Amino acid sequence: MFYHISLEHEILLHPQYFGPQLLEKVKTKLYTEVEGTCTGKYGFVIAVTTIDSIGAGLILPGQGFVVYPVKYKAIVFRPFKGEVLDAVVRQVNKVGMFAEIGPLSCFISHHSIPAEMEFCPNVNPQCYKTKDEDVVIRAEGEIRLKIVGTRVDATGILFLFLF
Amino acid sequence: MSDSEASNYSDNENASEAGSVRSRSSRGSVRSRSRSPSRSRSRSRSLAKSRSRSPRGSRSPSRGSRSPRSRSRSRSRSKSRSRSRSRSRSGSEAREASGNEEPAAEEEEPEGDSLGSEEYDSEEDDSDEGSRAKKRKKNKGRYGGFIIDEAEVDDEVEDEDEWEEGAQEIGIVPNEVDEFGPTAREIDGRRRGTNLWDSQKEHDFEEYLRKKYSEDTAAIKHFGDGGEEMSDEITQQTLLPGVKDPNLWMVKCRIGEEKSTCLLLMRKFLAYQNTNEPLQIKSVVAPEGVKGYIYIEAYKQPHVKSTIENVGNLRMGIWKQQMVPIKEMTDVLRVVKEQTGLKSKQWVRLKRGLYRDDIAQVDYFDMAQNQVHLKLLPRIDYTRLRGALRTTQSDADLDKRKKKRRPPSKPFDPEAIRAIGGEVTSDGDFLIFEGNRYSRKGFLYKNFTLSAVIIDGVKPTLAELERFEEQPEGIDLELPPDKDDKSVTHSFSAGDNVEVCEGELINLQGKILTIDGNSITVMPKHEDLTEPIVFQFHELKKYFKMGDHVKVLAGRYEGDTGLVVRVENNRVVLISDLTMHEMEILPKDLQLCTDMASGVDSLGKFEWGDLVNLDAETVGVIVRLERENFHVLNMHGKVVECRPGSLQKRSISKYTAAMDSYRNSLHRRDMVKVIDGPHNGFSGEIKHLYRNFAFLYSVEFLQNGGIFVCKTKHLQLAGGNKSLPNSDITLGMEYMSPRRASPLHPSSGGGGVVGGFASPRGGGGGRGRVARDRDIIGTTIKITRGPYKGNIGIVKDATQSTARIELHTSCQTISVDRNNITDVGTPAKDGSASSYGRTPAYTGNQTPLYRDAGNKTPMCDSGSRTPLHYGSMTPIHDGSRTPNASSEWDPAISNTYPSPGYNPSTPGYQMSGPYTPQTPGTMYDATYSPYQASSPGYQSVASTPSPAAGSGTGSYGQSPAGSGSGNPYSTPSSSYSPNMPYNPQTPGAGLDVLPMTDWHTVDIEVRIRDSHDDAGLVGQTGVIRSISGAMCTVFLPAEDRVVNIMSDHLDPVRPQRGDQFKVIIGEEREQTGELLSIDLHEGVVKIKDDITMLPLQNLCKMRKRD
Repeated sequence: MFYHISLEHEILLHPQYFGPQLLEKVKTKLYTEVEGTCTGKYGFVIAVTTIDSIGAGLILPGQGFVVYPVKYKAIVFRPFKGEVLDAVVRQVNKVGMFAEIGPLSCFISHHSIPAEMEFCPNVNPQCYKTKDEDVVIRAEGEIRLKIVGTRVDATGILFLFLF
Repeated sequence: MSDSEASNYSDNENASEAGSVRSRSSRGSVRSRSRSPSRSRSRSRSLAKSRSRSPRGSRSPSRGSRSPRSRSRSRSRSKSRSRSRSRSRSGSEAREASGNEEPAAEEEEPEGDSLGSEEYDSEEDDSDEGSRAKKRKKNKGRYGGFIIDEAEVDDEVEDEDEWEEGAQEIGIVPNEVDEFGPTAREIDGRRRGTNLWDSQKEHDFEEYLRKKYSEDTAAIKHFGDGGEEMSDEITQQTLLPGVKDPNLWMVKCRIGEEKSTCLLLMRKFLAYQNTNEPLQIKSVVAPEGVKGYIYIEAYKQPHVKSTIENVGNLRMGIWKQQMVPIKEMTDVLRVVKEQTGLKSKQWVRLKRGLYRDDIAQVDYFDMAQNQVHLKLLPRIDYTRLRGALRTTQSDADLDKRKKKRRPPSKPFDPEAIRAIGGEVTSDGDFLIFEGNRYSRKGFLYKNFTLSAVIIDGVKPTLAELERFEEQPEGIDLELPPDKDDKSVTHSFSAGDNVEVCEGELINLQGKILTIDGNSITVMPKHEDLTEPIVFQFHELKKYFKMGDHVKVLAGRYEGDTGLVVRVENNRVVLISDLTMHEMEILPKDLQLCTDMASGVDSLGKFEWGDLVNLDAETVGVIVRLERENFHVLNMHGKVVECRPGSLQKRSISKYTAAMDSYRNSLHRRDMVKVIDGPHNGFSGEIKHLYRNFAFLYSVEFLQNGGIFVCKTKHLQLAGGNKSLPNSDITLGMEYMSPRRASPLHPSSGGGGVVGGFASPRGGGGGRGRVARDRDIIGTTIKITRGPYKGNIGIVKDATQSTARIELHTSCQTISVDRNNITDVGTPAKDGSASSYGRTPAYTGNQTPLYRDAGNKTPMCDSGSRTPLHYGSMTPIHDGSRTPNASSEWDPAISNTYPSPGYNPSTPGYQMSGPYTPQTPGTMYDATYSPYQASSPGYQSVASTPSPAAGSGTGSYGQSPAGSGSGNPYSTPSSSYSPNMPYNPQTPGAGLDVLPMTDWHTVDIEVRIRDSHDDAGLVGQTGVIRSISGAMCTVFLPAEDRVVNIMSDHLDPVRPQRGDQFKVIIGEEREQTGELLSIDLHEGVVKIKDDITMLPLQNLCKMRKRD
C-alpha cells in the first residue's frame, strides 16, 4: 500500500559544502539518502514530495560535520500481510518462484503455489503450469499474489507470497 | 511485521475487551453508574437485554443493595476460575444437574425469605453497605424506570449468580474452609434455586439452572489449589454417603483378576437373587488401576463374607475385609489420570530374557494387568528346525546353542520359518508363529509384565531407531520427559502461540503469557474467554501460521531461522533465511522470532563461506553448517559432508588472482559473469579463488546457499574488457578496471589507483607471483597512510605489495605498503600522460568534479589525486576501445535529460551513493572532462549515481572517447551541450562535432548511428516525426514504420546540392531553404529568397515533399 507520510531524517554534511548552496545541498543529499531506501516500519521510500523543514544544523565537535534534522513528506510503499498485489515473475525454479513488485522482491514457495500447478523443469523457460496448460507461469509473467509474510533484510524486504 | 497491523488487530480486540471490562465494571460498581447513568447504560445494554428474559426481573430492588464491593470481588475471582474449571468439569455437569434436581423438587421455601437472609448476611459483612444501598435506591428513583429497569435486570441476574457464590464465600476465609465443610447456608442456597421449580416457566428454569451451575462450577474453585477435594465435597455433599449408607469393604483379590471377579460376583448375585438367602450386597467395584483389591458395598461385614465365600479369586481376602472410612469412600471411585508415565509409542528396554536390553516400543499399556504390550524385533533362531523337520538331534543341540548365543534380532521372516518347517498362520493383520504375533513388517507384538521392562531414561540409539523405521526427529516427540529430571522439559516461551491438544479445551488457541515451571499461563484467543488460563505443558502444543518468521530451537537445523511456508500436522516447512533451503521441522522445535538470525554461520574457527582444505589437493567452500558437520562444496562442484576435524582452514590471500576468459585479472570480490560451463548465465561475486577455480556467490543461485564453483576461464569480469586476449591493449586495460580501482576495495584496487606504478603489476598479478617492480625504484614518493604518513622518501626497492622507502628525513629505510604511497614531484615517466593532464581543461574541470563527486575522502585522494593517475588514462587507451563497446555503455543513453532539475535518483539504484552530481554543471564536468574516461568510472564504482546511472560495469564505455573513430566527443555531447560552458571541440574532434545537442527538430532526415542498440536500424535514415524530451519518433521509409529512438542515436543528414534543408543550429534555426551549392564546409543557401552562406553542419536535409 502506498502512503504519503511525514518522516524525519538527519543529514550529515561535510564542511566543504558550507556556503551559499548549503541548504540546496542538504536537500539533494536528503533525496539521495532517503529515496529508494527501505525500512521495516515504513517500507520503501519511493519519493520525497516536500521538505517541510530543515532544522538548525549542529556541528559535531571534532569532526566539523554538521547534522541537519530534516522533516519531509514522502511517498512510501509498505506491503502488508494479507495484501493482494500484482507482481512480475523474475525467476522460476523448483523451490518456487521469485517475483518483483517494483522495488520489492518476493518469493513464492512452491507450497504456496496452487497444488494443481506443477513445475516443469524441462520446458524452456522453466515454468509452473496446470495440467491442461490453462495457466502457465514463467519468468516475465504477471501474477497476482497475496502477501503472507514479510522479512526485512539488509537489501530490502523480502516477501513470502501466496496466490 | 506491521506494528500498525498488529495494532489494528489488537485495537479491535482491545475495544471489545475494554468494552466487556467496562460493562462488567459498570455492573459491579454502583457508584460509577450512578454518576454517569447514561453512559453505563449504553455499555451494559446489550448484556442487559440478553438477560432480560431472566425470571427475576420483578424481584427485589432490595437485593440491588448488596455490597458492590463484595460482589465485584467475588465476580472477578469466579471469572478466572470458571475458565480453568470448565475444562475439567463439563462432563460432570450434566450429572450434577440431574442429581440436584431431586432435592429441588422436594424442598420448597418462600423465595423472599432466602433473599432476606442473604441480604442480611452481606450487610453484616460490609459496614458501609447500608448507606450505599440507600444512595442507590435514591438514584433509581431519580432516573426513572426506563433506564434503571434495564440495568436492574442486569443486576438481578448478576446478583442471582453472585449470591450463590457469595453464600459460600461470606464469612469463610479461604484457609478456614477446610474446617467448615458445607455450611447450612450453602445447603440453603442449593434449595433456594429449586424454588423456581414450579413457579417459573420451563425455559426460564432451564436457563436458571444452566446459569447456576456454570457459575457454581466457578465457585467451586474458590478454594485455590488445594481445593480440589474440598470443592467436590461441597457440590456433592448431599450425595456423599453418610452413616446410614452402606459401607465399602475392601477385599483382597488375585492380581489381574479384579474385573473377572467382579463379573463373577454379579453372576453369583443373580443366581442367589431368588433364593432364600440373596446376597445382601449393594455393589461390587473394581476400579481401574487398583491392583489386588476389589470393593464390595454392603451394610454389614457378614454380608460381604457370605458373598465372597467360595470365590477362588478372593480366597486370600476371606479372613479380612477392610472397611473404607466414610471420608475416603469417595476417593475409591475417583478417576485418576494415568499414573505411570507409560504412553503409547514410548521406548522401553527389556530387563531380562531373550530380549534383554533390546529396545521396544510400547503398543499399549494395560494398567490393570500390569502388563505392557510391546512392539519389538523378534529374535528367532532360524537355524533350529521346527515341525516336521524337527529331529531329536536338533533338539539336543538346542540347549547348547541357547547357552552359546542368542539369535540376532531381525524382522520376522515367514519364508525362513517355513523353510525350517515352522508353521505360520495368519490372524487378521498379524502372522502367528509359535503363539507369538508378528506384524506384516516383521515386528513382534508381545505382552510383557511391567517389571520386565525398563521405562526410565531409555533413549534409543539412532541405529535402533532406524530399524524401527522412524525418523529420528519424530521419535523425540514421543519421548516422555525424563522422570528424574524435574527441570523444565518443554520448549515453550512467553509469547508463543499455542494450541491446546488435550482435555476439553482441545483446539483452543492462545498465546503464552507466563511460564512457571511446567504450568503455563495462556491467554486464549477466543471471544468468550478473556481471562488467562493455566495449562500444563503437555496439554499444549505450539502452532504456527504460514508466513511466521521462526527460529529453530533444536535438531539438525538448530539456530536457523526462516519463514513458515507450510504447516501440516506435526510438521512445519520453513524456508531458511540463510540458504533458501527448505527445512521440515517439528513445531515444538520452533519459536517465533522477530530478528533475522544469521543462522548457524560459524562453528569453531569455521564460518559459512570459508575456504577450506579437504585434502592436499582439494579445496572447498563451506556452504552449510550443521550442528556437528559441514557441507563443503569442493572445487569439482560436489557437496561433501565433513567433520570439522578433517578440515583445514585456508588463509585468505588478498593477492590471489586469476585470469578470466579475456585475460582480465580476477580477484576476490570481483563481480563476474559466467559465460560458459554448467553455470552459464549466472553472475556473481568471487568469494574465493583457487588455482583456476573460482567460488562464486550469487543470490540467484539456489543451491548451496548461492555458492557455486566455476573454472575461471568460464568467467568474464563484469565491466571487464571484452577484447580478445592477444590484443595489445589488454595489459593497459586491466588497471583501469573500475573494480580494481574502486575505493571500496582497497585490497585489490589500491594498487591500481596508484596508477603510474601499476603497469607492471597487472602482468605479475595475473600470475599471482611476487615480482620486483623496477619501475618505481628511484621515484620520490610520499607516504599517505600509517605512522610514517606525510614522510617523503625514495623508493629503493619495490614488489607489487610493498616498497622499501628511504626516507628523506631520517636515514632510514622502511617497508611501506604500496597502497600507502603516492608519487610526488618527479614527473611521470609517461610523458604524454602528464602533459595531457595539465591542459587548462583539466584544471578547469578538476575542481568541480572533485567537489561534487565527493572524492575528498583521504582514501580516494591517495590514489586519484595524483596527476600520474590521470596520466595513465591517456587518450591512447581510450582510442583503443572499440566504438561499439563505448556506444553500448554510452552515458548519454541513460542521461539524455537535459533538464537541470532532473534528479536521476531512482529508488533502488543509488541508495549507497552519498553524493549525487546532480547539478548540471557536474554532469557536464563529469562528462566533458578529458578525463572522463576515468572519472565517471570512479564515481560509478563508488556507487555514485553519476550520469552513468550507476552501472558499474559500464564505466569503461562511459568514455566518450571510446569512439576513437572520428567524432569522439559528440556522443555525450548530444545531451549536455546546452549547459556546456566548455566547448568540447578539442583538437582532433574535428568538424564532425555537433556543438549542440538540441538540433533535433521535426521533418528532418536523420541517420541512425551505430550507437543504437538495434543493429537492424543502424545506418538507416528516417524522418523525425515528433520529439518528446530526448526521444524522437522517427519514421523509417525503408521499413515503412515508426520507431522511437533516443535523440543521441541520431545524426543529421547533410543536404546535398539542390536539397531542401532545415537549419538546425544557429540563429536561423528552424528556417528552411534550399541548398544551392556547397563550398567546402559552407553551403550557399537560399532562405526565403535570401542567399547566404551557412556552415554545412548547421544544416539538415528536409524530408522530401511528396
